[in-house]
Amino acid sequence: MDGNNECSNKTETEPKHFEKEIEDGMNRRTIKCKYCQSVILTPGSGDYFERDFQLPLMKQKKEACPETECVSSFWVVKDMFTFQNVGFSNTVGTTKYLTCADCEAGPIGYHDLNTRISYVALNRVSHTN
Amino acid sequence: MAKKTYDLLFKLLLIGDSGVGKTCILFRFSDDAFTTTFISTIGIDFKIKTVELRGKKIKLQIWDTAGQERFHTITTSYYRGAMGIMLVYDITNEKSFENIVKWLRNIDEHANEDVEKMILGNKCDMTDKRTVSKERGETIAREHAIRFMETSAKANINIERAFTELAEAILDKTAAAQGGRGEGGDHADRVTVDRRQASQGGRACCH
Repeated sequence: MDGNNECSNKTETEPKHFEKEIEDGMNRRTIKCKYCQSVILTPGSGDYFERDFQLPLMKQKKEACPETECVSSFWVVKDMFTFQNVGFSNTVGTTKYLTCADCEAGPIGYHDLNTRISYVALNRVSHTN
Repeated sequence: MAKKTYDLLFKLLLIGDSGVGKTCILFRFSDDAFTTTFISTIGIDFKIKTVELRGKKIKLQIWDTAGQERFHTITTSYYRGAMGIMLVYDITNEKSFENIVKWLRNIDEHANEDVEKMILGNKCDMTDKRTVSKERGETIAREHAIRFMETSAKANINIERAFTELAEAILDKTAAAQGGRGEGGDHADRVTVDRRQASQGGRACCH
């Protein structure tokens, strides 16, 4: 990990159909783990926010050098105890990666230790009623 | 702006010898569950889980020792602010059971004296490899006036119940301390994230 999470070469893989998930700037529906359906955030608890971040892929081919993708749509959570269920990884630089609390799938986003703000990637979680 | 979405916050610790399945206690085994090499390499520092007890929304912040127990470096800083401790041994590992007494001493030395404790005899699904009887677990718990339960993280036996009971015991204590004052949750201690630096050990999981 070089700690540089800027996106230089954008290989955007995110679908752009998130508009319907946003209500008053926040998540309209419940946010769950894509794999085990553990509830991560209840409706109206994350602010929609766009920023580019190189997030390591959930499925890695080799352990040598983690592959990343540029993610730019996030739910911002300012108080970590807003989460219903979530895991925080050990620290890498100034970042902690977020995982599902139950099946530990991840990273589903990251936590910035400087600002104490958490970012949940929209394309790494499922949105359900 | 920040609306508070919970009533109480409890900091819980998992303690016990290496290999007793502490890390797995917080892991839901299921067919489609997986850990990525990325996450398992870095390791998980803590988890936040939400339970509802008696109409109160309670956030549990649960810390795993992440292998520190191997080096006997579990000291005051790790115990700071802990309100509940799960003391775990492995029912197939005699030594881990004998060490429960040592861990209890360590807790007495370093943790807050009114910390709520519970002893868990883990891996209770492995009946053919059992070396510690349930009675012995119950006896040691009774001697120290601590709650006891046998659990299996793998077969998902008693895990939820253990956390709920521990949280309930803390809730009782909190309620008693506040003398029935309704809204007391605002002063739950908050634990900062950057307390520990990354330890690069991977997870040592059971089976």
